[in-house]
Amino acid sequence: MSSSASMLTGSAVHRSVANIRSPPAGGGGGGASSSQSSGPSTPMRPITSTFASPSSLRAEEETILIEFGTRKLLVGFAGDAAPRGAIWFGPEQQRRVGDFRAWQSDYHPDWRNAASGDQWGKDYELWRSDVRDLDLGLVGDKIERALRDAFTKYLLIDSRPRRVACVIPSGLSIPLLSVTLDSLFGRFQSPTVSLLSPPVSLAVGAGVRSALVINLGWAETVVTAVYEFREVQCNRSIRGGRMLTEQTHRFLAKHLPQNQKKPETEDHENSQEYVLSFEECEEITMRLAWCKAHPSSATTKPAEGLSTVEEHDESEERRASPETEQPGLATIPLKSTSPPVTLELPYDLLTEPCENTFFDSRHSPASFDDHELPLHLLVYRCLLQLPVDVRSMCMSRIIFAGGCANVLGLQGRIFDELSQILRERGWDPVTGKGLDKKREDLEQMKQKARARLASGGTTGPTSTTQPGAGEQDGVWHDAANVKPEVDPIEEQLKKRGDPTSQEQGELRAVESIGAWSGASIISHLKIAAVATVDRDLWQQQGAAGASKPGEVDSKMQQRQSLGAGGFMRGAGTGHNSWTLGTWGAY
Amino acid sequence: MAPPFTPYTFIQCPCSDSSTFNRRSPPSTPTTHHFHSDNDDNDDDDDEHPFDPRAPRSNYSLFPLEYLLYCEDCHQIRCPRCVAEEIVTYYCPSCLFEVPSSNLKSEGNRCTRSCFQCPVCIGPLSVTSLESHPDPNLIPAPDNTSAAPHGGPYILICSHCAWSSTEVGIQFDKPNSIHAQLAKLRNGGNPRMTAKERKERRKDLAQSLGSSYSAASGSGYPSHFADELDLDLDLETQFSNLKLFYQSQLANANPGGGASGGSASGSGGAFGDLGFTSPTSLSRILNIYTSTSSQDKKAKSRIGTMREALDRDEGLKIANLDESEAIAKLHAEDHAGTVSTSQLLNQTPQLHLGEPHLHGRSRFASELRPIPYLLRTKRSKRCPICRHIISKPEAKVLTTRFRIRLVAGSYIPSITIRPLSLPNASTPDPSALRPSKPAQFVLTFKNPIFEPVKITLATPALTPGRFPSKVTVLCPQFDIDANTDVWDEALKDGDKRRKKGESMDSATGGNNGGQHQHQPAAGKIWERGRNWVSIVVEVVPASLRKPMPVVLKEDEDLLEIPMFVRIEWETDAMGDEVGAVLGKDRDLPKLKRELAYWCVLGLGRVSDQ
Repeated sequence: MSSSASMLTGSAVHRSVANIRSPPAGGGGGGASSSQSSGPSTPMRPITSTFASPSSLRAEEETILIEFGTRKLLVGFAGDAAPRGAIWFGPEQQRRVGDFRAWQSDYHPDWRNAASGDQWGKDYELWRSDVRDLDLGLVGDKIERALRDAFTKYLLIDSRPRRVACVIPSGLSIPLLSVTLDSLFGRFQSPTVSLLSPPVSLAVGAGVRSALVINLGWAETVVTAVYEFREVQCNRSIRGGRMLTEQTHRFLAKHLPQNQKKPETEDHENSQEYVLSFEECEEITMRLAWCKAHPSSATTKPAEGLSTVEEHDESEERRASPETEQPGLATIPLKSTSPPVTLELPYDLLTEPCENTFFDSRHSPASFDDHELPLHLLVYRCLLQLPVDVRSMCMSRIIFAGGCANVLGLQGRIFDELSQILRERGWDPVTGKGLDKKREDLEQMKQKARARLASGGTTGPTSTTQPGAGEQDGVWHDAANVKPEVDPIEEQLKKRGDPTSQEQGELRAVESIGAWSGASIISHLKIAAVATVDRDLWQQQGAAGASKPGEVDSKMQQRQSLGAGGFMRGAGTGHNSWTLGTWGAY
Repeated sequence: MAPPFTPYTFIQCPCSDSSTFNRRSPPSTPTTHHFHSDNDDNDDDDDEHPFDPRAPRSNYSLFPLEYLLYCEDCHQIRCPRCVAEEIVTYYCPSCLFEVPSSNLKSEGNRCTRSCFQCPVCIGPLSVTSLESHPDPNLIPAPDNTSAAPHGGPYILICSHCAWSSTEVGIQFDKPNSIHAQLAKLRNGGNPRMTAKERKERRKDLAQSLGSSYSAASGSGYPSHFADELDLDLDLETQFSNLKLFYQSQLANANPGGGASGGSASGSGGAFGDLGFTSPTSLSRILNIYTSTSSQDKKAKSRIGTMREALDRDEGLKIANLDESEAIAKLHAEDHAGTVSTSQLLNQTPQLHLGEPHLHGRSRFASELRPIPYLLRTKRSKRCPICRHIISKPEAKVLTTRFRIRLVAGSYIPSITIRPLSLPNASTPDPSALRPSKPAQFVLTFKNPIFEPVKITLATPALTPGRFPSKVTVLCPQFDIDANTDVWDEALKDGDKRRKKGESMDSATGGNNGGQHQHQPAAGKIWERGRNWVSIVVEVVPASLRKPMPVVLKEDEDLLEIPMFVRIEWETDAMGDEVGAVLGKDRDLPKLKRELAYWCVLGLGRVSDQ
């Protein structure tokens, strides 16, 4: 999104004027909304450099926006509402050019042998975060081929160098990031690559400045707290799509007819033998996996002080519907077994993989390691670790994203589980039987004291019961009663007379248009990314040349704030110091 | 896994060698160790790292000869990865209509006429009148919209799987411009506002509500309007709402200094307003020239502020987490009612722009949309180094001819492989390789160029991989005569054929005292023709269950030989050569050229016995 004039190729000048003018929507509706707050004014323009002629604004080459995921790439032009195409990684993509065996009618992929070891499903991933035994060159090749396919098939562009903006997981390790950038700079000759983080893009795509982004991804679920367009905290759990697919496999293997079962399936936790192909398990997961509603969501009344959302009414209905209806049998045709079988399983059972993957209520919460927390605990912990003000902002802007958000009912379930925890525990980091006992003791003491006071009759009953009631869920109220810190941005907005959102402290989920589309808005509005890498600098210096984010902090602040209007680094300062932003930290 | 195995040859394009192409590894990063850290340029580098055709990476650099092009000026092979492409024509593969590139920007990468693919089986869909009995013999071509003889509502129907758009509740009034009609229809037949209509609608609303209207107070709408709009808040609408919102916020946050405030343009100054006639932009341009530095500083010091979206019109959407309806539907529709992964992949996100939030995908068969055909391109290709065109198709969609096409097959020797069946060999099927049994193959190199070439071959003695087979090239160095004049060929043809027949006889029927001994011998050429030479390669396949029976990966029983081919020839010096390779000697009129690359010979499958 840096619009440096040097890369203008000039050949597309005439074409791009229309491109810029094309959102004339900005003139119509936007004008209506903004006219009341400020006088007619000229918008600030991203001025590339002092020497560039302003006419360079017209010759803007379109920016290609790529969202990298573990399983797929989304590719499109910045400014579009949706990506033009998605490329999924798979074994078919890794064949040699000219190898058409997959099209032969008698070809059956030999998944059984390919799945030996822990290779099951590995071909369907672009990378793994464990780079120790990862062939980085292969990752680069995969990226290159996928991008080439996407450019040829969906974008229909020639191979002139184009600026690229990448939505790239913010936890991506430097080797993988460096391979990605090498591909983009080396093979596609992009003059600059900007890096955008998915949580921030999602927040932008939801129209909020702060959010709690629950990204139910493939390799892991990442809960990121975004505050004022900055990632402030990030918690991860390996409970993601991969685990769900493996659980589905386990589940289906368990229900296979006796003769097809492996003899030693009892040790199922460690079984590396696969009886079903990855594609089939994934397909069944995508088609049929669903998640039960929270069992107690309808029965418990919302606690006071924690108003539980408008969704609550619906959750009652939701709970009712699957139960009142007679849950039928799901027919699951399986082709990768030999011979093919059709399983008939009750729908209720089909929630098992999802249940085990994301909530795992069989085990006590204490038994989980940090990397495998069930999702509701993960979200809760993430919120708990946030400062109070940030938490109050984030909890009322929960965004679900990622592939597993498609699992029916999962979003609602996580939400309900979270409300349930809050109802039971509030924001108290300490739990356990000892604490419960302590609470009881305190309560008893209080009652005793009350009784004593009442018998003594020194004070009115109202004044004593008040603090008692306050303490019942004392932590929550205490937290809420802390005087909020002054929010400079909010102040400024108030000064400007903009209506500000009062929505905080309540659980609420908002819908985002997705990381790709959010990033598309960011790019379209020419807001500078935190990390914009120049091709020359990258090829000279590599990842090691990047400054730490802290060293360019002041600039970063400006750039990160959406309002900065996309100022590029000045010609003098920026040329030597550049940063990979959060990506450089890992 | 077809039983009759055909030997094959793949060639590795030299561009995948990290040192040759523009893929320099940053020297200072310890993390990019996967590249050759030493960028030495001598040719022995390749010999030090023998090429492994089984390595997963080599799948990305190997190409059949037919896929390769050749740059005449750089004298180098060019693979699809190392050419610069330019687009000649955009066209729809279904109706073969050319699409101007300006349409591509505005209307996307799909055919906007009436060409659709079936969402279930990706077969072509045709427009049929609902009234008439759909006669399979009379299915009109997708673009031949006038062929639908009957009036009344029209549907799209798939002639392959009999899917019809009635299954998703879509009918059309007209038989033509289906794309435009479809854009206004949701699945189930409900109308859907296009972006333009929505904008007009909003404008109307704003006008009807008068000056009291402001975007911030969405409650100002009459309630029935609000409901309607809420229903309409699909991905595309939310996107455009958000975009508007951010634009107005940015405009507010950076009011561009007081200088421009004087102009009374009513447009409100959103980013989309770039009309060069408007006074705002004029004053902006003046501003840029007059007061750059101070302006910049001022603006930079001010941290922009923007609030968040507050209501639907600003793009905020409260998530509806209640998916019980969908769950109930899942229970009702079962496995068969859901879409498969491959169908999903064809339903690209763009198709669902108009739908309510589906998180980018549809789940039920009733949510499938007909897929407009993706446009295709004709591309011309250039050498990335010297920018010469190496392939250029005719611009017309209907012609398949090329104006320029420098295929590698006419510059580098082709290699054909056949098993050598000696008279005393008892194996009935020579293509089945048996472990530890020597097998011989005849490699025929055919020289396509008009100069005699000298070929040097090199193979590792043992093939890489888990099952190393022994490989011996009996004659690793030989010359091939030039591909002489066509007339010569025609005149000599009969002669040659006779000769060839003789040699075939000799190969099969024992030695008849001909020019060859016809026993494969080291250092000897097996056969020689006008512009071809055959040599013999002997392999001893490894046992596939060497230490113990192991699980074979796909193609691991395939015997593939990596072979380094080096071609040297002399040409007339042609003045300004761009990529003149080594051995350039100015004194000689002849110029020595060299081309070297790895290739992979697939000889056959080793039987598992």
